[in-house]
Amino acid sequence: MSIHDALVAPFLDFEFMRRALAAVIALSLAGAPIGVFLMLRRMSLVGDAMAHAILPGAAIGFLLSGLNLFAMTTGGLIAGFTVAILAGLVSRTTGLKEDASLATFYLASLALGVSIVSLKGSNIDLLHVLFGNILAMDDQTLLVIAANATITLIVLAVIYRPLVIESVDPLFLRTVSRAGAPAHLIFLALVVINLVNGFQALGTLLAVGLMILPAGIARFWSRDITGLICIAVVSALMSGYAGLVLSFQTRLPSGPAIILVAAGLYMASVLFGSVGGLVRQLFPGRHLEA
Amino acid sequence: MPAQITFRDVTLGYDRHPAVHHLSGEVVSGALLAVIGPNGAGKSTLFRGLVGILKPLSGTVTLAGLGVRDIAYLPQIAEIDRSFPISVFDFVGTGLWRVTGIFGGIGKGSRERIAQALASVGLTGFENRGIGTLSGGQMQRMLFARVLLQDSPLIVLDEPFNAIDAKTIDDLLALTKRWHREGRTVIAALHDMDLVRANFPDTLLLAREPVAWGATAEVLTAESLAEARRMCEAFDDSAHACAETSRQSRAA
Amino acid sequence: MRGFRAALTLLAMMLGATPLHADGRLKVVASFSILADFVRNVGGDRVDVTSLVGDNGDVHVYAPAPQDAKTIADAQLVVINGLGLEGWLPRLLQSSGSKAAVVIASKGVDPLKLGSEADPHAWQSVANAEIYVANIRDALMQADAADTDYFRQNAQRYLAELDALDREVRDDVAKIPPERRKVISTHRAFGYFEKAYGIAFIAPLGVSTETEPSARDVAAIIAQVRKDKIPAVFLENISDDRLVRRIAEETGATLGGTLFSDSLTGEKGLAPTYIAMVRHNIKALTSALGP
Repeated sequence: MSIHDALVAPFLDFEFMRRALAAVIALSLAGAPIGVFLMLRRMSLVGDAMAHAILPGAAIGFLLSGLNLFAMTTGGLIAGFTVAILAGLVSRTTGLKEDASLATFYLASLALGVSIVSLKGSNIDLLHVLFGNILAMDDQTLLVIAANATITLIVLAVIYRPLVIESVDPLFLRTVSRAGAPAHLIFLALVVINLVNGFQALGTLLAVGLMILPAGIARFWSRDITGLICIAVVSALMSGYAGLVLSFQTRLPSGPAIILVAAGLYMASVLFGSVGGLVRQLFPGRHLEA
Repeated sequence: MPAQITFRDVTLGYDRHPAVHHLSGEVVSGALLAVIGPNGAGKSTLFRGLVGILKPLSGTVTLAGLGVRDIAYLPQIAEIDRSFPISVFDFVGTGLWRVTGIFGGIGKGSRERIAQALASVGLTGFENRGIGTLSGGQMQRMLFARVLLQDSPLIVLDEPFNAIDAKTIDDLLALTKRWHREGRTVIAALHDMDLVRANFPDTLLLAREPVAWGATAEVLTAESLAEARRMCEAFDDSAHACAETSRQSRAA
Repeated sequence: MRGFRAALTLLAMMLGATPLHADGRLKVVASFSILADFVRNVGGDRVDVTSLVGDNGDVHVYAPAPQDAKTIADAQLVVINGLGLEGWLPRLLQSSGSKAAVVIASKGVDPLKLGSEADPHAWQSVANAEIYVANIRDALMQADAADTDYFRQNAQRYLAELDALDREVRDDVAKIPPERRKVISTHRAFGYFEKAYGIAFIAPLGVSTETEPSARDVAAIIAQVRKDKIPAVFLENISDDRLVRRIAEETGATLGGTLFSDSLTGEKGLAPTYIAMVRHNIKALTSALGP
């Protein structure tokens, strides 16, 4: 099999592959920068928390409109926003740190969701229905992801400076501006939007994975936040592309394939990365003159 | 001289326990004031109240003609995330917030100002270093450079010379006095009595309650210092609600 | 084994005799809605049927609630599908402490294989459904000897209806040109239907709703649809259908609507009874595949 057959032909022959690639590109552009900030703010596990936090919203959407993905997604978004914003407010106004605050709210939300689903009696795994698959990109879903990516990039550009300052020296920002709290809450809102839309389009593994893993990879190659974001985006794109090819040539399911490639890149970075990689640590080379 | 900061019977604390108890007084514009006191005296708490981060449990702090952007606050280093991947140059550059706001670009003029600020604190050549690689003294210099760029009429320094070498202290002290000469109001929390006697005309001796406030020579007397040392550090869990609603400060 | 079960049932009957006669109706619990429908048709007004997995529910992944244990404990007869469908049931039976008789409705069915395990969806063939009904009738007669004739008459009538249904399906399939008797469906639940009536069901996903396809699988399905000229793609009422729609769009196959496989839909739905369900399915198939 030629390189062309292996790497390019699948995308030329099958439309679902082209659409999957488009989805990966959109997800990488939006998710990777967000993942970098999540990692820097020590919120890497927020994706899993959010996947459960959206349950009551999806449940209410289901109760009102049945298996209507739009209703369930909207409900999920509302639940996600509520949890994220409440957690953000509590951690800012009280002494409770972000992770504990988020944990309490998402658990409460999950319990509420499970109760609602049980009371109704149906046992459909709502979350399973809600979580999509990258190979099933229809026009509407692609549009949502693309709009998502655009909005995310624009908003991130706007809140970039206050977000950075708030992450490194929050006290300083509080003394010079009132932008800190709104920037933080807007960031949380972006996280929720990206996660919920990501779940709905691509499933939890991909949505969260393409946020967090590229950020982890980037950490081993750059010391500067701009560099981190660029490398994260590139890593996500590479993982997405390679993962899709892998899923096409072998029997690996697509989502896990992409994440496995990303994990492989991560391991390689841990070993060979120029910033803190193990090989560098073991064999630093001769010291410099000054 | 017009009063820039007015404390009216201010009590600041945590969980209803006062860390600063019934403070009243004024800081005039252009003053160079040292705040001295034992550990736990409430110096950091006072600054947080001054800067607006902590709300008073009772009483008021009034800043005449100053908005939130007009104060440069240098906290103790612990608050900064040193593992964050940002360069010294970018970090110091955030001091230009008043000028750039959220969107403003850092143009050529700004870049020069940043470079100059770094030069003023002796950090030329450190522009691209990550902030996590700096020593304690270098960190302090960097924070001073940021304060420089903030160009504020009121500068509040919380234990700025703790645990740093003598040369650095000399350099930063010179910078502080330059600010004073420029007519800015400078308030600093300090531990070194000799340094205060030599450089600061006014002193507030704080031991949770104000012990003495005024000209340095009159405040730093043996008896005042002894009184301050007698203050109890720990919060008293069995304390009752404070009955006094207002109290005159013993200071001028 | 049979004798032992009969003796057990007799014993249970004697022990539970008082509540039976006090209430008048036999309390029966069926594991899911299709079995409940069968029981109602045979038991008529002499039985009080509850279905554990409700309408539109997924019997493969059902998680029982404490209420279910209570329901089972109060019942005299439990009707289950068997063939591995209700993985969650043995523990529930045990923990409920129920003394009810248990009848496996699929007893006597010739099982098909699905991968390495048995395919549990035996009811998709109407002939198998008749075996189910016979087993249920026998169990009801054992549980409530007084109403034996009533049950036998109901069963006879219902079995006749099922016979007619079977003929109806065969006639409808005959109207479809042979080369068009193949469809794509998300759920591998129609193995028995395929074997009985000759329509091939090709599925991109596995039996349960949990597995995820690889790009290669999807490409293979699309290639196959194009090569074999499979005319239609069908959705299922309890899982995400976007993947199937994508395949339909990319191959130009007709999107044939929803097929019901594992549960009934309740009064207001398209498949409130088993017979209605089978009729709906065959009508959907013929309209998508017809000449």
